[in-house]
Amino acid sequence: MATVQVSEAEKVYILHGIRDDLRVDGRGCEDYRHMEIETDVVSNTDGSAKVTLGHTAVLVGIKADIGKPRPLVPNEGYLEFFVDCSANATPEFEGRGGEELGTELSNTLYKVFNNKHSVDLKSLCICPGEHCWVLYVDVLLLQCDGNLYDAISIAIKAALFNTKIPRVRISTDEEGGKEIELSDDPYDCMRLNVENVPCIVTLCKVGHRHVVDATLQEKACSVASLIISVTHKGTVTCTRKVGGGSLDSESIFEMTEAGKRVGKALHAPLMNVLQQEEHLGKKKQKVGFLG
Amino acid sequence: YANEGAVQSTPTHLLVITIHSHAVPPPTRGGAVAVIAIMLKSKTFVKKTRSGGVMKIVREHYLRDDIWCGSEACTECKQESTVLQTDACMESSLCSYPHYLIPDTNVVLHQIDVLEDAVIRNVIILQTVLQEVRHRSAPVYKRLKDIIHEKEKHFYTFTNEHHRETFIEREPGESANDRNDRAIRVAAKWYSQHLKTSESDTDGLKVVLLTNDQGNKQKAEESGLLYLFTCILVEEYIKSLTANPELVDRLALSNDDKNEITSSKVLFPEHLPLSRIQAGIKSGSFVQGTFRASRDNYLEATVFIQGEGEDGTEILIQGLQNLNRAVHQDVVAVQLLPRNQWVAPSSVVLQDEGAAKDDNVEEEEEEKAVNITTGKVVGIIKRNWRPFCGMLNVSQIKESTRHLFTPADRRIPRIRIETRQASTLAGQRIMVSIDGWPKDSRYPNGHFVRSLGGAGEKDTEQEVLLLEHDVPHQAFSQAVLNFLPKMPWAITPEDMVRREDLRHLTVCSVDPPGCTDIDDALHCRELENGNLEVGVHIADVSHFIRPGNALDKEAANRGTTVYLCGKRIDMVPELLSSNLCSLRSNVERLAFSCIWEMNHEAEILKTRFTKSVINSKASLTYAEAQMRIDDTNKNDDITKSLRGLNKLAKILKRQRIEKGALTLSSLEVRFHMDSETHDPIDLQTKELMETNSMVEEFMLLANISVAQKIYDEFQECALLRKHPAPPPSNYDILLKAAKSKDVAIYTDTAKALADSLDVAKVDGFPYFNTLLRILATRCMMQAVYFCSGMDNDFHHYGLASPIYTHFTSPIRRYADIIVHRLLAVAIGADSTYPDLMDKHKQSALCNNLNYRHKMAQYAQRASVAFHTQLFFKSRGILNEEGFVLFVRKNAIIVLIPKFGLEGTVFFDSKDKVAPSIVFDEEGPTLTIQQHTFRIFDKVKVTISLDASNIQHQKIRMALTDPVIPGVSVPVPDAEPQAKKPKLDR
Repeated sequence: MATVQVSEAEKVYILHGIRDDLRVDGRGCEDYRHMEIETDVVSNTDGSAKVTLGHTAVLVGIKADIGKPRPLVPNEGYLEFFVDCSANATPEFEGRGGEELGTELSNTLYKVFNNKHSVDLKSLCICPGEHCWVLYVDVLLLQCDGNLYDAISIAIKAALFNTKIPRVRISTDEEGGKEIELSDDPYDCMRLNVENVPCIVTLCKVGHRHVVDATLQEKACSVASLIISVTHKGTVTCTRKVGGGSLDSESIFEMTEAGKRVGKALHAPLMNVLQQEEHLGKKKQKVGFLG
Repeated sequence: YANEGAVQSTPTHLLVITIHSHAVPPPTRGGAVAVIAIMLKSKTFVKKTRSGGVMKIVREHYLRDDIWCGSEACTECKQESTVLQTDACMESSLCSYPHYLIPDTNVVLHQIDVLEDAVIRNVIILQTVLQEVRHRSAPVYKRLKDIIHEKEKHFYTFTNEHHRETFIEREPGESANDRNDRAIRVAAKWYSQHLKTSESDTDGLKVVLLTNDQGNKQKAEESGLLYLFTCILVEEYIKSLTANPELVDRLALSNDDKNEITSSKVLFPEHLPLSRIQAGIKSGSFVQGTFRASRDNYLEATVFIQGEGEDGTEILIQGLQNLNRAVHQDVVAVQLLPRNQWVAPSSVVLQDEGAAKDDNVEEEEEEKAVNITTGKVVGIIKRNWRPFCGMLNVSQIKESTRHLFTPADRRIPRIRIETRQASTLAGQRIMVSIDGWPKDSRYPNGHFVRSLGGAGEKDTEQEVLLLEHDVPHQAFSQAVLNFLPKMPWAITPEDMVRREDLRHLTVCSVDPPGCTDIDDALHCRELENGNLEVGVHIADVSHFIRPGNALDKEAANRGTTVYLCGKRIDMVPELLSSNLCSLRSNVERLAFSCIWEMNHEAEILKTRFTKSVINSKASLTYAEAQMRIDDTNKNDDITKSLRGLNKLAKILKRQRIEKGALTLSSLEVRFHMDSETHDPIDLQTKELMETNSMVEEFMLLANISVAQKIYDEFQECALLRKHPAPPPSNYDILLKAAKSKDVAIYTDTAKALADSLDVAKVDGFPYFNTLLRILATRCMMQAVYFCSGMDNDFHHYGLASPIYTHFTSPIRRYADIIVHRLLAVAIGADSTYPDLMDKHKQSALCNNLNYRHKMAQYAQRASVAFHTQLFFKSRGILNEEGFVLFVRKNAIIVLIPKFGLEGTVFFDSKDKVAPSIVFDEEGPTLTIQQHTFRIFDKVKVTISLDASNIQHQKIRMALTDPVIPGVSVPVPDAEPQAKKPKLDR
């Protein structure tokens, strides 16, 4: 993972600041950095979003493809995740350097998103036991400046919101053979309900307190962090501890509570922004990667 | 939150295909840098992949503002040349002002015949229309492209999809068709505004949108566009062209018109939709095949099911209902009938005489006949309608505009057309296209396309037989001609790099008289070591025809030059065939040479191939060459060379025959043409001279040597020619015939056959051997081209050669061009290209070549038959001697050696009571009253032209000797008239 070298004096400065609820860049402990979201940035995906959080930049593309449902859940579709830690983001990812992080990230994403409580997997079913939609979620890290989980989860939620799956019909001939028919209208497509899609809030324990959206410097001062996925109702769907240090149960409780609070507050403006953008329709000014 | 097991690292699916649209017109040219505003849009659509997945495809789409309108009247557009004229006047009672036409897609698709008419000019073809047409119908697209290329037609293609102001995006809820219709309307609107604003004198130049869709017209009206441009239904517009009423006939019928024509009676079962057909074929309840109507019985057809490889099966279809509106060559879906409904093919000749016999064929007595697989047509997968040649049956009702059309090809049903020029068209050969066949109509509906000329006229009939045999015979297009070398042409030093200079050799060519496409020349000289050097030099056509260009594609499509009596339809443009590639005397020509070193016993010691330059010293005819050889006074180089060749050829021929090559015989006729009228004035069978066989021997040798070389070099993709051995049953007729004269013929091997044919002689019957050879020829299989990678039987039965190809006539056969290219690659004289090494592509090419060769042969025969008819028309009734070639159930087939003519003498006819006829299949013999006919019997017949059916004129033969009362006819005393009557032309 991208790390920065922080001197002892700097560490003390950061620690003391956080103790007084004042972070190096002037934020409070539960404040996010400036965030920008743009959807529909990659035209040849079915849904895409680009999120920048501070200097962290993440691009998510979703491709819908027809596949076979998993045998245990024949009436559900599923999601596949792939995280590409390109060397673009940081030189450490060069060669196979980003592989480990990529696997770790995608494992977490499976846990958080690939279940029927987060995404309405039943709506992805085309024909029970035979055909379902498989959403290939490809995450591309463009730049790393801390707090990857949060940025990725927001980008995924935005991309899922943006996803337009072509509507298909199953036609049956008299012999019982089934044929998938595709509508020739490109506007005739299915949207996903993203209401219950959670966002991940990462809380970093720095000193005795914890912060959200830690920068790389703050991360260097932290012993461990807790990632919590929270829905818009404040329901925690997943927690995981990352980092080498240990957390005592009390601070886990505190951090979870803070995570719920922050997460709940995150969803409302996010959905707001997404809906606003959607309403712009074709008039939307594309920013893309040059903005 | 169960994790779904191990996490695989899936490949990234982020990148999907991005295809750049190449339809962007080239930027403005001409020195100065033009500032072009380019706007990027993207077109998105989803597509189902073959594996059942779904793919989203995004295409970049650039818009620009430098697409000009193409009108002469416009001063705003910076175009260099214009297509559309200022005075675009058409005498229409609906549009009195000058106007440009904008047809929509359906108008182009259905009324292409009208658009092709010379009257229709100044038409704007929108890119939207062009693309849709291309997508929907390849033949119409090609015709449209041809019209656009024609300068006098003033058709302009406007790339509205890339124009900044006329590009529109599809809106939610809009179907693709609606979007295209809207795009057409937007472009029409743009044009009318554009023409209005250009301040020049536009004289109220307007655009007229042609449609055949009421809805489209209505939408144009609703959106208030009509003050800008006029939108007219195409039928109304064509009817309004007061100066050209004949155009109305060329209108294809639209759906509304069809209903009014037909009665309410439903005659045919409904065709199944394509989706049901596909499902049915998948599940095996239907089979797909090509519909082949019977020539003799309009109520019967077979459907040919392509099986594995070459073989296929046939399904019989019988009865109007079961045929269900399928037309010859359509691809249809067939459902098999239950076994108890299977029938046998009837042997009755039934011609459609009209609506009287609408119902099924009467049950015939079928005791002996074996029932075969029978089915019914349930749907049409692909129509294979082309314009058909034929003649009009003018309706009995005088005022009627609806008439039936009888195609020349008996396998095509009659077509109902609507025309007001029936009286002019009667007696002419015309072309008609089918528009549709509603289920309540006895005949398909069609429309008149064009007239070919008066029936029976030579030019018309020639055109008909070319069209009916699918021989591409249009003049070469400009695109093709552009690839011809620029004249004056000369050999450049670059040409010489990989060529051997053989200009010093005494090369000469020997061909039939009047031959202008000389593709082979020969030489023979003595070497210092006493051996002989023999060279076969073939025109280097592949030097001029480079792979993949329009010229090459055209030649590949034509496949072969077609020789008709008095006319040649070239495979390559005349500049090549009769000039640059023709190895004429005393000019330098590029050649591909095959040079052998031989000893005097004609054993090949060395073979080599090279590209070369030659300078032929003489172009001789067979007769001239023969005279030189025979004339002992002549001792020049050419004559010596010819004698050497002749000597070797005789040895080669002997060797070949020893190996079992067959010398078969078929009579070829040669017409002596009147030099002015080009009418045949005499007819004789072609004579063969020693020199014919001399040239042939060396061509065979060259072909075999080349075949071996290219096969050694390219095992997978050599283009070869094979001649399969015929199945033993083919020989039945030959064996029976020989047996009747107590002659034994052995057919176990080619060698045995050749030998037994050689000794087959009957005393006092010198012509017997030739007749036997003619019969043997009929037993043979067709020789075909094939790709060596797709087959493993290479044997050429007739030539008794293990391998064979065609190398020696690249001017007139495309196969030879491919062989030239292969050989050139093999000797490092030329570079290769992918299609040459692709055995599947080559196999497809071979199929086309085989088809074209077959059709060329048929066309040739039809041409000979037609000229024979012309000849006998001028001769009146002739009395000739002939031989019985075949004996049939109710007729004998007689060959007249003098004319190489074959004709049938029928013993039963409609109006006469059939005499007692006994047919014995074993003989085969036919006994009529007391006389028995056998194969090879000598008979005398009268020959006359039967012109009772003007479409199918034929030679009629009647028996005069032996005299059989009630059957034979008296000998006409009118001997050939001294002076032939002038032919009415």
